[in-house]
Amino acid sequence: MKISADQIREIIYESINEINSFFNKDKQLGIKEETVLYGQDSRLDSLGLVNLIVEVEQRLTDKLNLNIDLTDEKALSQNQSPFLTVKSLCDYIYNHQNQQTPE
Amino acid sequence: MHLEFLLEEFRKIPDKDAIVWNNRVYSYDSIRGHFENLKKLFVLDYGIKQGNVAALKGDFSPACIAALLALTEMNCIIVPLNFKSQEDLKSKIEISEAEFVIEINAEEKTVVQRTNTKAANNKFEILKSKNHPGLILFSSGTTGIPKAALHDFTLLLEKFKTKRKAFRTINFLMFDHWGGLNTMFGTLSNGGTIISLNDRTPDNVCGMIEKYKAQLLPVSPTFLNLLLISEAYKRYDLNSLEVISYGTEPMPESTLKKLASIFPSVKLQQTYGLIEIGVMSTKSKSNNSLWVKLGGDGFETRVRNNMLEIKSRSSIICYLNYPSQFTNDGWFMTGDEVETDGEYFRILGRKTDLINVGGEKVYPAEVESVIKELEGVAEARVYGESNPITGSIVCVDICVSEEVDKHELKNKIKKHCINKLQRYKVPAKIKFTESIGMTNRFKKKTN
Repeated sequence: MKISADQIREIIYESINEINSFFNKDKQLGIKEETVLYGQDSRLDSLGLVNLIVEVEQRLTDKLNLNIDLTDEKALSQNQSPFLTVKSLCDYIYNHQNQQTPE
Repeated sequence: MHLEFLLEEFRKIPDKDAIVWNNRVYSYDSIRGHFENLKKLFVLDYGIKQGNVAALKGDFSPACIAALLALTEMNCIIVPLNFKSQEDLKSKIEISEAEFVIEINAEEKTVVQRTNTKAANNKFEILKSKNHPGLILFSSGTTGIPKAALHDFTLLLEKFKTKRKAFRTINFLMFDHWGGLNTMFGTLSNGGTIISLNDRTPDNVCGMIEKYKAQLLPVSPTFLNLLLISEAYKRYDLNSLEVISYGTEPMPESTLKKLASIFPSVKLQQTYGLIEIGVMSTKSKSNNSLWVKLGGDGFETRVRNNMLEIKSRSSIICYLNYPSQFTNDGWFMTGDEVETDGEYFRILGRKTDLINVGGEKVYPAEVESVIKELEGVAEARVYGESNPITGSIVCVDICVSEEVDKHELKNKIKKHCINKLQRYKVPAKIKFTESIGMTNRFKKKTN
């Protein structure tokens, strides 16, 4: 069954909430599509980004049964980085599942 | 005395830009002035003398660089510390037996404190008798106690007497690591300009390259991954860049290829450095190849059982608090597995259970012991998993001792680790398993 963009966005928001619970208020990420994950004026550092990606991957597997490696060569060699904003990450995951052969 | 080659260079180019710090440019002459003043202050006001162990807390600011040079010229034993990282500071000061703690604060004021320690390690006598300055650098130790390496500073400085091209250089690597000091000495000894950073995010680094027309960018592969992910290179004019050098951890081939296509006219150069031997320059087969020639300039290499060993003129005297990692005939056992092809090497990384997170070393035993302090954890096995952004991430498999809410325990483990460990040591992935794999020798499996 195809997973909707809403479900993916929800997973990303849950993961952001999880990451936020370990940070001070000034470092917290907003729960919205335009939130910058890693780009200009981003609040995440390299470890924060890696932790967020791991959270998203684990939730996609646990909750939606979607196994996806978000840091494989494909993800990192996109012309537009998937990690710029919540929206770009959501789009990347959504399009990625469309390209997978159904099991 | 041992810095005459550097001071001579300073005198030749008094008006040239030496350091960019907080958006101000400082000339070579002003650094030399700073250096003379601090030398007087240290000797006359505080009685610091040859052979004293002095910890120096700061960054690549004019006063801190001048203080480092002054202590070197006075033949002290210097312990450079990063003023931003408070962790381990106390134990580093104790392990090194620092007799003075000198802090260059954010306003560039020098604060000197005398500790109650009298440096008594007999290894310091080797330096005192030769009237040589020393340098103590720290790396992660197997048990969580930082490992202190003692260098004869004159041996490390020797290579900077050979003239190379003067670059405007981004001083990205840290003040308390040889990588950062190596960048600094390499730049100043050739009359280049150090561009210091307050903030090491890709956007800020690119902004500084654009503003100050930087030519050389020595960084880590993790930073280069972040540069690509953030797309910061699209927002700034980076045409001044001539060389990007990278080291401290294995480089993913995909990152290297993408960089080569984004920066076609920039030379991409791999370096290989270890706290115990210094930094070796390398020659890459081509711009997008991970195969390199190592050695030259006082370094010899050999491979035994696929493991790289290095003999260096600038090897450390000893560790202050750990057993030696040198063979009896003086070769340093790097612990790095390599492939060879004629005279070229490819560095595959550590064949130990050590985890390299963005260039920072993590020993599983330390993280395991912190996690096992928690109630409900019966067994914990920490290991590294490869990650294209930071090289590796820290993962842990947990066996619980009783029925627990796993989500709650996961949060507890994270919070506990954040309180007790440096951030890069905190596990990114926490998994619950029925049992931890054991080998037939009843050791925990480390893959």
